[in-house]
Amino acid sequence: MLEIVILGRGGQGAQTAGNQLAQALFAQGLQVQTFATYGGARRGTPVMSSLRADKDPIRLRCNITAANAMLCFDDSLLNEGFLSQGADDALVVVNSARPASDLASLGNRRIITVDGRDIARRNNMGKVVNSALLGAFVAALGQPDIETMCKIIETTAPAKISENIAACREAYGLATGQLEGAL
Amino acid sequence: MNAPVRNTNVQLMNGNHAVAWGVRLLSPDVAPLYPITPQTPILEKLIDFQSQDVLSTRLLTPESEHSAMAGAIAASATGARVFTATSSQGLLLMHELLHYAAGARLPIVMFNVNRTPAAPWGFWPDQIDSLSQRDTGWIQLYTETPQESLDTTIQAFRIAEACEMPVMVNHDAFYVSHAVEPVEIPDQEMVQNFAKKPDRSLWLETGSIRSIGTPIGQAGWNETRREMDVAMQRVVGLTEEAGRVWGEQTGRHYGPLDFYRTDDAEVVFVTMGSMAGTAREAVDTLRRNGVAAGLIRVRLFRPLPISGLRAALAKIPTAIVLDRNYSPGLGGVLHQELKAELYGMENAPRMHGMLAGVGGVNVPPETLEKLVIDYKDAEQSQSPIWVD
Repeated sequence: MLEIVILGRGGQGAQTAGNQLAQALFAQGLQVQTFATYGGARRGTPVMSSLRADKDPIRLRCNITAANAMLCFDDSLLNEGFLSQGADDALVVVNSARPASDLASLGNRRIITVDGRDIARRNNMGKVVNSALLGAFVAALGQPDIETMCKIIETTAPAKISENIAACREAYGLATGQLEGAL
Repeated sequence: MNAPVRNTNVQLMNGNHAVAWGVRLLSPDVAPLYPITPQTPILEKLIDFQSQDVLSTRLLTPESEHSAMAGAIAASATGARVFTATSSQGLLLMHELLHYAAGARLPIVMFNVNRTPAAPWGFWPDQIDSLSQRDTGWIQLYTETPQESLDTTIQAFRIAEACEMPVMVNHDAFYVSHAVEPVEIPDQEMVQNFAKKPDRSLWLETGSIRSIGTPIGQAGWNETRREMDVAMQRVVGLTEEAGRVWGEQTGRHYGPLDFYRTDDAEVVFVTMGSMAGTAREAVDTLRRNGVAAGLIRVRLFRPLPISGLRAALAKIPTAIVLDRNYSPGLGGVLHQELKAELYGMENAPRMHGMLAGVGGVNVPPETLEKLVIDYKDAEQSQSPIWVD
């Protein structure tokens, strides 16, 4: 079973990203379950989205405690409390202007940084980073394929569809480059 | 039941939207609603459907849950088919009118999202909000999955209208309410045939002089409770019948109780709501390790299916009751109910009451597996046990 945790702040689109990722994995034939947990529905408070994908229907109804992969929308949220929900060797994609080497103290985890704000700005998306982060995340995860991901964004983005897709593809390319550089 | 049929009508949606889909397919006459986290997506989706012109239900948005229930009672008293939804504080604000709706024999269907009541303030899955309403006269069902929440919303109308009692269907905050999963949307014509609205025995209308709920003498009031007792005695059978017919139509069968690997079980979990899903995983792991474990999920809590529980538990040496609720000074509500129902029974299981997941704390399958190892051969626990 693939288990993913996405952490962001209310209003950043972590829940939307979880839903879009789930739809893309579902479109590729996997069973999925994704759920968000939050306190009061307020902008700025931490929002966590959890996602499970498997070939069989998902029956578990508990938190993810050893995620295979993690997506962090804001490097100020990247603390041990969040990271402890991942496996020791979890893949961690972080929205940060800093290079991954700055975050090297994070043990055996595989860290990839992506400057979502910069990509969003370049693609006329303002501060809306979720499509860019999804592009980087699917590159790092190796699934779903980028075409399926973009198709889901195309059908679910509330506005600026071509900009969202462009941001997703640009981040996908940058993350792929970063991964190849690391090999 | 947990494997949604994969066909062209399967969509990804969360548990709350699945409830709204159930309402849409049935299109009841009136739905007074007041928003509250984590119920709000039910209301939002219904308004979304209304704006698309695919929901004929008259939506009312009064200023509080108390007024929402008052509106539901008034509408139902005219013979209208009524739906509403709430959670936690909202349900508790409705409390006095819950008694009223049941006493007036109004077949309102309400969906409640189980959430911790204040204080302290919280938004987490815990069933004490609805369990503390168990004596109001509402039938109570608890679901495990978004698919079951859609299916049960529809079945609830059939049950409510057959015995003229209100039904409260419950699912857990977040783990079901906000869990996005594949959900099969049944055919609307099938749904409407399944839940044809029967004639009511009493309703109010202009042009004829009738009343509901006027002052009455002692004997008359007493008689209303005797009649409710008769109605409640039909509910287990009505729930069985609704679940069976639904199963024939959809392939998803339901009953008052849901048994998983209990045939030769030596130890079973007994629980309600979403924790059953995690318990299924624990059961499978325990079985792989040579422990004959099983699960009984109580889907119909009020009235409790006593004879079914007695028959199932008579063969099983140990029952571990998982309560995601805490009644201060008592313990877990399901545990207490089971102890009462099994009192005096020969070969009753040794029962252990576990306060598991109170306040929404995480309960992974490993925790449940350890409970079985630690308690399957233990003497019956006298006090409730807080699970870490």
